[in-house]
This record gives sequence, structure tokens and C-alpha cells, in this order.
Amino acid sequence: MSKNQHDRTHHAKIATGIGDPQCFKSKAGPAKFKVGERVRIKDLPDLFYTRSQMYTRGAVGKVTELVYESPAAEDEAWDNNDHPEWFYSIVFQQKDLWPDYPPAYPNDTVETELSERWLEKA
Amino acid sequence: MSEQHKPAPMVEEVSDFEVLEMAVRELAIEKGLFSAEDHRRWTEYVHTLGPLPAARLVAKAWLNPEYKKLAVRDGVKASLEVGADWINGPPTHFGTPSDYCNLRVMEDTPKLKHVVVCTLCSCYPRPILGQSPEWYRTPNYRRRLVRWPRQVLAEFGLQRPPDVEIRVVDSNQKTRYIVLPVRPAGTDGWSEEKLAEIVTRDCLIGVAVPKPGVTANAKRPVHPAVHPVHHAH
Amino acid sequence: MASSTREKVLRHLNTVTHLQPALHLGTHAPYPDAIDHTLYRAYTRSVHDVGGEPDVPIPWEEKEEEQWELNTFATCECLAWRGVWTAEERRRRQNVDLGQTQYLGLPYYGRWLLTAARIMVDKQYVTLTELVNKIDEVKKRYEQKSAR
Repeated sequence: MSKNQHDRTHHAKIATGIGDPQCFKSKAGPAKFKVGERVRIKDLPDLFYTRSQMYTRGAVGKVTELVYESPAAEDEAWDNNDHPEWFYSIVFQQKDLWPDYPPAYPNDTVETELSERWLEKA
Repeated sequence: MSEQHKPAPMVEEVSDFEVLEMAVRELAIEKGLFSAEDHRRWTEYVHTLGPLPAARLVAKAWLNPEYKKLAVRDGVKASLEVGADWINGPPTHFGTPSDYCNLRVMEDTPKLKHVVVCTLCSCYPRPILGQSPEWYRTPNYRRRLVRWPRQVLAEFGLQRPPDVEIRVVDSNQKTRYIVLPVRPAGTDGWSEEKLAEIVTRDCLIGVAVPKPGVTANAKRPVHPAVHPVHHAH
Repeated sequence: MASSTREKVLRHLNTVTHLQPALHLGTHAPYPDAIDHTLYRAYTRSVHDVGGEPDVPIPWEEKEEEQWELNTFATCECLAWRGVWTAEERRRRQNVDLGQTQYLGLPYYGRWLLTAARIMVDKQYVTLTELVNKIDEVKKRYEQKSAR
């Protein structure tokens, strides 16, 4: 195989003057979930790399924003950018995440972003 | 041998890291991966970054309800008004590679307190806030804040009544966050500049709240560098 | 010169013997039937995913930046600016591929630096031979300086 086949200009070509994740806008198709919807985080195989935190798996949260479209981190980490998906900001109740979270603080939450592949309707 | 290994302090002229850093940079330049000028420009760009634009964003939002609405709805657009251009400001003109272009401004209320962490690494809104503090990068902060937020915040000197919602924002993807704290009492009639002075970096991360008369982060031990950054300007 | 290298070699062998797998098990390279789902998940985890792990309070400190750390940061961003990698490729390599031991054992910017060196070799911009020769050349520059 010949060396240095990498195109070092491809990101600059799509993102200059536009920004990232703006450069992936409208590339993901329709979003599967809406603001306010309750979703469960799927415990998918996560061999080699993931940005979906272990502490969210199997937990149910509420979609608070459709934040942007982008390749999933699991793909972008190998520069595979052909299939952007929707990213969602999701709020979890702390009491749903940790069995030992003190009931004295019933309203505490965590907010974090997950890409569509990690979500299913709760 | 069973003696405990005490690491030999690297107080000789250069450390292994310094040797490798020079080797990597020289080779990258020799191979045309980037130029010496690129590297100098990036270093200069980093020197321009600090918490002032974010502090001014908060102060403006306190004074102007329409601007506050914009900040919460479109952080990147609101950043432009305080001189932080997420897209065209950095030398790339496509944003910084590590910080992207999606700032979200998280608005505190009397019943909602935000605090930011990146449990996976140390993602931080550099273009509007500068470089992250050491403690923010530690595995310790990243392990504990998301699960024991009130304990960690208490260590930073911040407590809230039990019914207040403490929302830990885990910055794990492309969004970068700053906290828009509640405007404190005792600031009536203050100018934007005077308000910005009390919005410290720690307030913008969420581990402190603005207080009249407090214009610096809480004092903490500072681990000195062996060969600190030289500031040529 | 030769005996100081031998001292370093022996010191290295005695140090790495303390780098056990995190579970402090007596056996290395266990039989497959010794690995249940829990252990498999633990060993194949994404190392950077530490949220919610128990830990103890530590004093919160600031740190003065080293010149080499700032240089490293600029190098990593310039490599991405000029398309050698994206930040996400960097994070995957720097915060997961590096492995559990280096992840917890090395300084924060030490990982950035090793990862920058590695990407150049992995994408064949530099051969490993060229890299180690350059490291040797830089080392010798400093040995000559202190020899004066």
C-alpha cells in the first residue's frame, strides 16, 4: 500500500467559515426523538471506544434539547464521517442514577449529550 | 530487591517530556505537517484567551434581558458580542479543533444551580474562558462531581438548600458550557465592567458564585513548573 | 556509561514488576474460563469513562504551566488544524488506546505528547526509526550542553 494517502484538507474544505458541528447540519435526516420525550440509554457493545458514559446505561432520562448533528464519536474517532446522527441533551434525575443518592436532595440532576444510536423510547 | 521505588526527581537540565516534545515538534515541521509559523501563531492565539469575554457575557446578560435570552438560545452568536468568535477567531477559521463551535450558556435560577465537568477528559470552553484549571482535569474531579456533587461543591465552599436542583452538566461531546450565575444582591446600579469583575472563572465553571467584593478565584496551592511558560510579551 | 545503563535497566525491571493489572490478581494472562462478563467489561472498558467511580477528597490545586506543555498543546492543535487528525481521533488515542496503566500513571500532558508522537508514526508521516533517531539527537544536544 502506498503511504500518505490521507487527505489532510477534507475537514478544512467542509468547515472553513462554517464551523463544526455546523458543517454537518441537515446531514442526519429526521430526528427520532423530540424534546420532552423520555428515553432509555441502550447498553450497546462499546468495544474500543465510546463517549456514552457507563453511568448512563440502562437509565431513563428526558430529552431537553436537540443540540446538533454530527458523526457519532465512535465513528469520528476513526475519521469515518459518512453517517452523521442527531445528538440529544438528556437530563437524568440523580436518584435514578445512583441507589445511594441521598433522598434529602430529590431534585438534583445530571445533563449530558448522547447520540441517537444510544437511545430508545422509554 | 524489594525496596520501594522512589522516583528520581527530574531536576537535570531537560526532562524526558521536554526531549520528546522537541523531537515531535521538529519532526512535524521537517515533514511539513505544520510550519514553525503555524505553531507560533497557535501559541499566540492561546495567550489571547482568558475568562474576561465569558465574564462580560454574564454581565451583559444581567443588564439586558434580551441579550440574556440570546445567550441562552444561541451561545455562539452571543459570544460574538463579547469579542469571542468561535468559528473565525481561531487561526483555522473553522473553530479550534478541540473546542468546536457549540457554546451553551446554562442559566442558573434561585432554584437551579449548574456546575460543569467533563467526566471523559477535560473538555472546556477555551475560546471564551481560556485554559482549564488543573483540578478540573483530575480523574478525581471527573469521578466525583457527577455522583457526589454536593460534597465536591462543599469542598469548593459552595452549598445550596436541599430543594435547590443542582444540575451537573457533563460536557462529553461537542458542546462547551459556561454557567450564567444568578446576579447577586448588592450590585444595583453597577456598570457592566464592575459586574464582570466579580464573575470569576470558578463562577463560570459553577464551583463558585459571584459576590460583591470578590474579584478573584479562591486561593489554592499552586504547583510550580520546573520550566514555566516564558511570556515574551 | 555502560554500568549506568545497566543500573537503569535493573531499576526498570524492578519498577514494572509493580505495574500489576488493576485487580491485583496473582495470575497474568488467565485462562479464558476465568473471565466472566464483569471482568471482560472491566478489561475492555473505555479507560477515560470514570464518572461515578468512588474516590476520596483531595486538595484542589492550581498548576503553573510548563513551556513543554504549552508547546505540546499547540503541536496537537496544529496537527489537527493541518488535517493530520481530528480532536476526536486524538482523544480516542490519548484517553483510551493508551491503556489503563499509562492513563493513570502519566501526567495529563504526557499523554497528549505521546499521542502526538504516535499519530505521526501510525499514519506513516514519520518512521519509528526516524522518531527514535530524532529523540536520540535531541538528547545528545543536551548531554553536550551539560558536559561543558
